[in-house]
Amino acid sequence: MDFFPVWLSLRVASLATLVTLGLGVPFAWLLARTRFRGRELLEGLVVLPLVLPPTVLGYYLLVLIGHQGPVGRVLRAAGIELAFTWRAAVLAACVGSIALLVKTAQAGFESVDRRLEDAARTLGRSEWSIFWVVTLPLASRAILAGTVLAFCRALGDFGITLMVAGNIPGRTQTLPLAIYDRVQAFRMGEANVLAAIAVLVMLVLLVGVGRLARVRY
Amino acid sequence: MLAVSVEKRLPGFTLDVSWAAGDAVVVLFGPSGAGKTLTLHCLAGLARPDRGRIVVNERVLFDSAAGVDLSPQARRLGYVFQGYALFPHLSVEANVAFGVRALARAARRRRVGEVLERLGLDGLRRRYPPELSGGQQQRVALGRALAPDPEVLLLDEPLSALDAPLRRQLREELARLIREWGKTAVLVTHDLGEAFQLGDRLVVYEAGRVVHTAPKAELLSRPASETVARLVGVRNIVRGTVVKTAPDRIEIAWRGQTVEAVNSLARPYAAAPGTPVAFFVRPEHVRLVRKDRPGPDPAHRMNLLSGMVVGELHQGTSWTLLFRVDGPGEPSQGAYDLEIEVPTLVYEMLDVARDRRWAVSMHRGALQVLPTA
Amino acid sequence: MRSAIRWAVVGLLIALAPGIARPAGPTLTVFAAADLAFAFDELVPRFERVAGAKVTLVLGSTGNLATQIEHGAPADVFFAADQAFVDRLIAQQVLIAGSRALYAQGRLALATAKRLGPKLTDLQALLDPRIRHVAIANPEHAPYGRRAEEALRAAGIWEMLESKLVYGENIRHTLQFVQSGAAEAGLVALAIANVPEVEWVLIDASLHSPLNQATAVVRWSPRPELGVRFIQFVNGPEGRAIMKRHGFLLPGEF
Repeated sequence: MDFFPVWLSLRVASLATLVTLGLGVPFAWLLARTRFRGRELLEGLVVLPLVLPPTVLGYYLLVLIGHQGPVGRVLRAAGIELAFTWRAAVLAACVGSIALLVKTAQAGFESVDRRLEDAARTLGRSEWSIFWVVTLPLASRAILAGTVLAFCRALGDFGITLMVAGNIPGRTQTLPLAIYDRVQAFRMGEANVLAAIAVLVMLVLLVGVGRLARVRY
Repeated sequence: MLAVSVEKRLPGFTLDVSWAAGDAVVVLFGPSGAGKTLTLHCLAGLARPDRGRIVVNERVLFDSAAGVDLSPQARRLGYVFQGYALFPHLSVEANVAFGVRALARAARRRRVGEVLERLGLDGLRRRYPPELSGGQQQRVALGRALAPDPEVLLLDEPLSALDAPLRRQLREELARLIREWGKTAVLVTHDLGEAFQLGDRLVVYEAGRVVHTAPKAELLSRPASETVARLVGVRNIVRGTVVKTAPDRIEIAWRGQTVEAVNSLARPYAAAPGTPVAFFVRPEHVRLVRKDRPGPDPAHRMNLLSGMVVGELHQGTSWTLLFRVDGPGEPSQGAYDLEIEVPTLVYEMLDVARDRRWAVSMHRGALQVLPTA
Repeated sequence: MRSAIRWAVVGLLIALAPGIARPAGPTLTVFAAADLAFAFDELVPRFERVAGAKVTLVLGSTGNLATQIEHGAPADVFFAADQAFVDRLIAQQVLIAGSRALYAQGRLALATAKRLGPKLTDLQALLDPRIRHVAIANPEHAPYGRRAEEALRAAGIWEMLESKLVYGENIRHTLQFVQSGAAEAGLVALAIANVPEVEWVLIDASLHSPLNQATAVVRWSPRPELGVRFIQFVNGPEGRAIMKRHGFLLPGEF
């Protein structure tokens, strides 16, 4: 049996989660701690993927990053292939899962007592230092929970990936697409094996993270 | 030396205060919501006034006209927050060391060790704030604020997070610590006892404004106005009508009698006859006239009044009697005219519980006239 | 927290390790409509042996595949279930006009789930109240779905049947409904109807417009000759035999 979809999905989901963390945590902090113009609009954009049907979302993304799309054209000129490659699968996974991380991280940041940050200010710490030493550690539990959610969602993305990366076996056929493919072909045995692997991965992740989250405070 | 003048408008509340103090401990005193904490925030740079000027020991921290607004990080003030705001994820040692970055590692460790020792926290170094008692937390909060050697210490209701018996005990300790450290401190409280025990000068707040500022002794003995007197917990504030004023005394018509109050030589009170006037006498200065001894000489202007005890409150070591003066009209304070404070011993000796009719005397020096407003 | 960071680093290294994509070819990427699943499963390995090249077969709904190709999907050749899609892409200069060829005509079959009773032989039988769900491909974008609607309308039972209809995303999906018994019956492609769980009967082809299936080579394919060769194989003696066996009408027969 071909296990390429398993490795592909693990890598895509890991990379997508890292990107989601890198973009989502700062954005969540901005939402929690600042007021800026266009805030609601940006917030809406982030949550939109949870609301739109995945294939529709995938279609609009494809229009953007495909051959004729504005983003696609720029990238191709720079020699970077996005659509219909594993990179698009990462993009799809990010888009589908970022809202989960942003919302939990935002709640985490909001739950940090502002007086603690004020105290740190009176003690001479820069805003940057305050974020790393006070705010982030105290929100870390929530962020961790959000990351796990985001990873699971990234691992399981289907509709968006199908559209922007395509269901190309051996190239972009991620685990969910592979399972779907097997089910369609009524190769239930293979489908079950793949599905079992997906479930196993998520269980290991959840148990592992649960252990980590045993912090003192 | 502190000079604070700030104006800040918030929805439903306006802060407009101005005060200066050179005392060791300045207490911002007043009821909740009067703007005391907001002032502290402005001092620390955690809130920005719409207009104003803040100078601490000749350093301008804020000046709206000149466009100066130092960040909280740059102000070098220590702040003890209400509820302490200790970092729950850091040890006691890490909390205290938090603001001491300017020193090299060895010097830093030494300094932190000093602070911990001085505050009796040495054994708790590795513990975490949630494990500590209220009193311990307060000391950690103090240590954390003082370790970077700030110029001024700001304290926001430092004792309100504790229960009553602990509060009294720690009040003394806190006073001692502040004095030992030798820093100027600005302390916010709504507790009068705290204000008087800890402060040298009181700045009295009400509804976003400063009603009066004075050294504490002056505040009690000569409150600037009826409002201040009320805020400072003065009791027996009653109203009468001026009969006549003279340089050395003031005669007031009250409850069908004429009582005499002494006039201040420095700031004499003068008003036309018939002017309404407020005055007070401290409960402990109203004396029951003993029936087994000859009464005071009326010539001595002792403000003799007769009346009845209509209620009493047991305060433990003393009794507060509610006394109603014989006279036409309604009593000045609801069901009674004056509160009288007698030690329990006296109460029992005079058998006040059963013997309710009494004459009381008030030395005219004990009556204090209040300028209106 | 330290171990968390260590694991994250390990994960990062795995994630960024090179070689996420399988090295290519010479591989021919064939985008094919879902109804070609079984036929191409047999046909592709034969071609691989004959041509000495690898083939990556990507199956999906014709509409989605066409959209993807339009936006630059890395297909070499496109087998659509309806020639209209091919012609549209040719007009947009996405497919090479000169390579266009008809390869089959699809037939619609009335499929009955075996375990739910005797085989239905007539479209009118779909009105039986015992049939609670009838599966067809989505008429919005699936060629077989559109033909199914045409046939049902021609038989005069579309309105009455509408409430019982269940739409499949593509023809394989549609067959699945019937295979699993979720729908008691359905209109599916003849080419994929030969599964053990299902019995089928041909629907009169005059009830709907013909399903002429066309193919063409993609303009930006780096190996157009291989693509053409594949098309020729499908329309060649070996290919035709396989297609016929799977219920397709062949070019020349229609």
